[in-house]
Amino acid sequence: MPLERLRKPWPDHRAERTLGAVSLLVGAVILAMVVFVTVRAWPIFEHNGLSWLGSGGNLEDEITRMTAASSNPTAADYHLRAWPVIYGALLTTGIALVLGLVLALLSSIFIVELAPARVRNVVIPVVRLLASVPSVIYGLIGILVLVPYVGNHLVTEQQRQSMQGTAQLTGESLLVAVVILTVMITPIMIALICEALTAVPPSWREGAIALGLNPLRAVRAVTLRAIRPAIVAAAVLATARALGEAVMISMVSGGKFFTPRPSDGVVFLYEPLRTLASTIVDYREGISSPPLGATIYSFAFLLLFAAFALSVAGYLVKLPLRKYQTRG
Amino acid sequence: MHRFRRLSLAFAVAGVVGVAAPVAANATALVTISGATSSYPLVALLTAKYVKLHPHKIRFKVTQGGTTVGINDVKAGSVTIADVAQEPTSADAGLTFYPIAKYAICVITNKSNPVSNLTAAQVTSIFTGKTKEWSSALGGATAAGPITVFSRTSVAGVLTSFKSLLLEGKSVVSSATEEASEGLMRQAVESSPTGIGFVSNFQANKGGLNVASIGGVACNQSTAASGQYPGVSVFYEVTRGKATGAASAFINWVDSSASAKKIIESQWVAIPPAA
Repeated sequence: MPLERLRKPWPDHRAERTLGAVSLLVGAVILAMVVFVTVRAWPIFEHNGLSWLGSGGNLEDEITRMTAASSNPTAADYHLRAWPVIYGALLTTGIALVLGLVLALLSSIFIVELAPARVRNVVIPVVRLLASVPSVIYGLIGILVLVPYVGNHLVTEQQRQSMQGTAQLTGESLLVAVVILTVMITPIMIALICEALTAVPPSWREGAIALGLNPLRAVRAVTLRAIRPAIVAAAVLATARALGEAVMISMVSGGKFFTPRPSDGVVFLYEPLRTLASTIVDYREGISSPPLGATIYSFAFLLLFAAFALSVAGYLVKLPLRKYQTRG
Repeated sequence: MHRFRRLSLAFAVAGVVGVAAPVAANATALVTISGATSSYPLVALLTAKYVKLHPHKIRFKVTQGGTTVGINDVKAGSVTIADVAQEPTSADAGLTFYPIAKYAICVITNKSNPVSNLTAAQVTSIFTGKTKEWSSALGGATAAGPITVFSRTSVAGVLTSFKSLLLEGKSVVSSATEEASEGLMRQAVESSPTGIGFVSNFQANKGGLNVASIGGVACNQSTAASGQYPGVSVFYEVTRGKATGAASAFINWVDSSASAKKIIESQWVAIPPAA
């Protein structure tokens, strides 16, 4: 009977076919998702070409017009220039990635190469735990602690006056978003880099030391070179998490389509912004208005595309590094 | 062998139930509703209660999208009822408006900045960005420096009502910080000593905030019910022509039953049944 046959050890060919079917299913689900998002986002491409990725419009006005559009929208309702949110996503992710990568590299070298075993045995599980904290918790800490602190203690009266009429410095800012984002992505990178560091054969470093390098220079010359593919992999994963972060950014970044200007000096850090993902959260209620729905899906499309581009880029960067790889 | 037979029987039963259940459900009346996001929480509660009271007789499909979407849908006949959070206009001929509840929109400031009363003109001036600095002339404000204006994202129905009721239809100043929900708006004003914002009366009167009167009238359920407070918004259920059948029964129930009144008065203001 079929059930009894299922309980017996499976012949190879059947196991192979079953596993193949499951993995094909995963592929099919992803494909279906991409197709669905693309179809929903299509009106934006249809009406704007690719120029919706550019600047030059007033995103605030465009979204307001979309919200008020009737269920038979005109072509003008679909007008979109999404640069402020793309810039917001790139800015927060970029700064957080650079900060996080430096922190992660230094702390992983400390944890693996220098720390005594007792410290290492505590720190590694703690890092793993940090890497799995849900982002909404970081968002709550941001909005209850960091935002009021920045708004009431760091931003000065003078700075507030200088930005009057353009943007309000409430403490919901680029600074808080980047700080929390860095805290969120660093543990992932530390966990991955630590693993790679422990996999480097000790004999390589010993050899370098025997040749006359001091321990820190040996780490730099041999160990770090050996784990370059792992560093790239960690950075790609961290970038993907940072780009897709929606809820936390929506809570702490100041809900305003604004492009922070580095030319403003310190005030730059206190300026509000929105990212692709946080805009989706902020405007999710408007998804049934056709133009706004298409806009939200076009942002989702961009995030999907970025995820795809990231994994391809990660693969391409790793190719020439293959020769340094320690395993496989 | 035995086990297999029992199992196949179970599957067969599950299959019959799975096919039959949707068929049975199709026999019930379906009422489709679309429209205002601001009244959605109320309508969701009311429809859920109504379905519980009339099991297997009626189903609702409630979607949001905004007042305009609702009105267009009901005019086109693609939904039975539109949720509308604004007064009827001349463009709405042929539609019937049934008021179901009211709520007041309160102006709120930080606890440390006890603004007691603002005139309607002052509210307009502050939120449209004409008045930029706090001074004691603004209802005895103790805060100093630039006013931090908090607004809502443009999809929020309460923003649309706020603009038409208290800002003479003008837009909130473009530098205002937009909050995605009433809760975030509360939190923002609670933590900003120079902040000012607006929320519906049930959020404002939860404490932790200073609620300003407008034109000498406090913002609460009773002034909203009496109609003295200027910022009172009415939620309507709108149908093409007169409501008929299941939709009419539902609207009547909302209008007159005690259980609907209880839901409405939990957070909103009930409207006395039409004579």
